[in-house]
Amino acid sequence: MNVFFEQFPVVFQALNVGFLQTLKLFGITLLGALPLGLVISFGSMSKFKPLSAVVRTLVWIIRGTPLMLQLLIIFYFPGLVFGKQLWGGGEGGRFFASAIAFIINYACYFSEIYRGGIQGVPHGQQEAGLVLGLSRSQIFFKVTLLQMIKRIVPPMSNEIITLVKDTSLARIIALQEVIWAGQAFMKGSQGISGAIWPLFFTGVYYLAFSGILTLLFGWIEKKLSYFKA
Amino acid sequence: MAILEVKNICKSFGRNHVLRGIDFTLEQGEVLSIIGSSGSGKTTLLRCLNSLEFADEGQIVVSGETIFDAAVNKRPSEAQLRQKRLHFGLVFQNFNLFPQYSVLDNVTLAPRLLKKDSREAIEKYALELIDSVGLKDKVNSYPCELSGGQQQRVAIARALAMKPNILCFDEPTSALDPELTGEVLKVIRSLADRNMTMIIVTHEMAFAHDVSDKIIFMDGGVIAEQGAPDILDHPKSERLQAFLTSF
Repeated sequence: MNVFFEQFPVVFQALNVGFLQTLKLFGITLLGALPLGLVISFGSMSKFKPLSAVVRTLVWIIRGTPLMLQLLIIFYFPGLVFGKQLWGGGEGGRFFASAIAFIINYACYFSEIYRGGIQGVPHGQQEAGLVLGLSRSQIFFKVTLLQMIKRIVPPMSNEIITLVKDTSLARIIALQEVIWAGQAFMKGSQGISGAIWPLFFTGVYYLAFSGILTLLFGWIEKKLSYFKA
Repeated sequence: MAILEVKNICKSFGRNHVLRGIDFTLEQGEVLSIIGSSGSGKTTLLRCLNSLEFADEGQIVVSGETIFDAAVNKRPSEAQLRQKRLHFGLVFQNFNLFPQYSVLDNVTLAPRLLKKDSREAIEKYALELIDSVGLKDKVNSYPCELSGGQQQRVAIARALAMKPNILCFDEPTSALDPELTGEVLKVIRSLADRNMTMIIVTHEMAFAHDVSDKIIFMDGGVIAEQGAPDILDHPKSERLQAFLTSF
């Protein structure tokens, strides 16, 4: 037990640094994938058939292959083909490649959630807006959007909580996120080696963070419960 | 001059000829009821008037201005379409209120977005309209808190807020329980008393008889019989006779 208390400050410090990287990847992914997903969903619903076919194929490929594989391909492929490391070296380059892979992957999942949300709003809402003389964009932003958001909050919260834990996959290209930081103490780091408890302890970080998100999404759902869509 | 002239409107969906040459005129302040069995083309006709569908043939003229002519190939721009739509208001069978907005906001949303007037003036007029449909105490309620009849009355106020020349009703009471039908019909009747020009697609024969200046009976995409409300008492065509006995 004494060993634990001796190791804790060092480990805690290292895990915090790792978790900060986890949070960064999580935040950047949301920032990129939330809007990109909307663009992809419009693409997949496009009446212009070639566009919707291309977009749907992309969504199929991204959703049909493991994210871990996509991370490896995006990180290594440019170097193999162009003989040049596109992402830059070091932790910055690994983070950049991870962010690209996560944004594309999550945008595709989000796009399907958006599509369900948009198509779930009754067509009558659109027509009611049209006969009142509203433009298509007014109808989208003032009539449809909030009803769509209300519909997508539960599936979205599910996906976003999955993202918290999926960030650990970036370890495959040696991104130094929290699991990587925990595992380092098994091999040996900062004078501690053969300790497996730091790895197990990373679970606390994930639990705490997904707990906060659960509360947040519960609050949003409650905020939107004043109307029935 | 007639406020509305509908000339030879034809509309098909694929091989299904829904409208096969509809002609009628409507004078300012008149109430026209359109009756007929399901699938006779009544709703499609209303949707053509409101530019939600585009007829394959024919013309629609409002107060002398041709707002639709199938012979003109060029599709109107979205801005032009929006202008044309504003001649008409449409009250839907399923109300289609905006669920996230209060009664007042449902009524004021379109006039505010289209900047019809100052915010205060829009709100004042909306409150008058809401009062006139008997929902003064529900101004801040949300659609999910209202009965079907109340929702439909809000929908009527919402359509009136854009001050349409002609107000169309697509089976306004078909989604309502019989005991709620009366309150909606009362509102429509009061509009008729105030000389609102209206086109009402309905299955309420007694109401159509009372409130209308003119009745059109549609069957198989054509007007099978039209005239004053007493055609309901003394139908000439066999098809109208058969239709009326089904009630």
